[in-house]
Amino acid sequence: MNNKYPVMLVLIVTGFFISACKNVPPVTSGIGSSQIAPGQQYSKHLQIDNKQLAAKLYISDIKSRSNNDFLQLNLTLTSRYKKSLQLQYQFQWFDQDGFAIEAGKSPWQALELHGMQTATVAGLAPSTKVSTFSLYVREVPEKFFKY
Amino acid sequence: MNKIILATTLSIALVALGGCTNKSVVRYGDATAVETTNISFGSTDLQKVAGQMTDSLLLSPVVGTLTANTRPILFVESIKNKTSEHIDTESITDSISTKLLRSGKFRFVDMGRVAAVREQLEFQQSSGLVDTSKAVAFGQQVGAQYMLYGNLASIVKSNKDQSDVYYKFTLRLMDLKSGLIEWADETEIRKTKEKEFVSW
Repeated sequence: MNNKYPVMLVLIVTGFFISACKNVPPVTSGIGSSQIAPGQQYSKHLQIDNKQLAAKLYISDIKSRSNNDFLQLNLTLTSRYKKSLQLQYQFQWFDQDGFAIEAGKSPWQALELHGMQTATVAGLAPSTKVSTFSLYVREVPEKFFKY
Repeated sequence: MNKIILATTLSIALVALGGCTNKSVVRYGDATAVETTNISFGSTDLQKVAGQMTDSLLLSPVVGTLTANTRPILFVESIKNKTSEHIDTESITDSISTKLLRSGKFRFVDMGRVAAVREQLEFQQSSGLVDTSKAVAFGQQVGAQYMLYGNLASIVKSNKDQSDVYYKFTLRLMDLKSGLIEWADETEIRKTKEKEFVSW
């Protein structure tokens, strides 16, 4: 009877190691918006793909204007989480026909948002032909693997 | 009997744990994603520096005036690397000049290709292989009106638990005729690396 315990212990430990030792794809969903034209009410275009992130963070304002013929954006993010958030955000740009401008070239920008902080980040269209934009915010994945 | 079960279980455990190591997988990644492999100057830093400097220049009221009726001609002088790292600063200037060129507001002359251009024009003019009536003549190029130049500096500090690096990138636009600096801006990057407890 007593000999069963070492076997069970080994099985549990093995199971623990095997379950921990696996490739965990990072969570890359977040919050963002569909295409918004300047002057449109941004709140109608917001989308939440990651409810856990949305519980910690929300888009509190999006402003846009034309400056030197370029569409300029101000995105305001507010944290409702007491700890720091390591975030990345990206703007996408579209012409008046909805075609992406500089598709795949808009870099994700890193942003550290401290607990309960509100921060405004800026974006500028890469071309004067931009007429609508979309944006996305997600966490920076820190661990790809668990051992 | 129990010893056999124990030995078998242990063997399976060792095989299972052994299978956790020595695995390498090749994947295509997102070239625009935030990269935090180490604390050194990386692709995200390059993209941030190039993006912010281009945006700042394009939004500048002075540049708005300069580009109102014409596309000024710029040349990029090399960015001086004052950091302790080896950083390909030409890659930063390439990104900035490409973004500015694609914005449609500026034109560029490439001082890095002067020798190649001269060689090609000499070939057209004197090799005897090119129709001289159609060959590009010397002395017709347009000179730059403005010079873009800058510095990349860093401050590195570390102790046994933490490393901290601070980068400062400064860029300036000089009017070559007057020598006046028409625009300048700087952007900062701070990166830290801390030891963390291993978590399961």
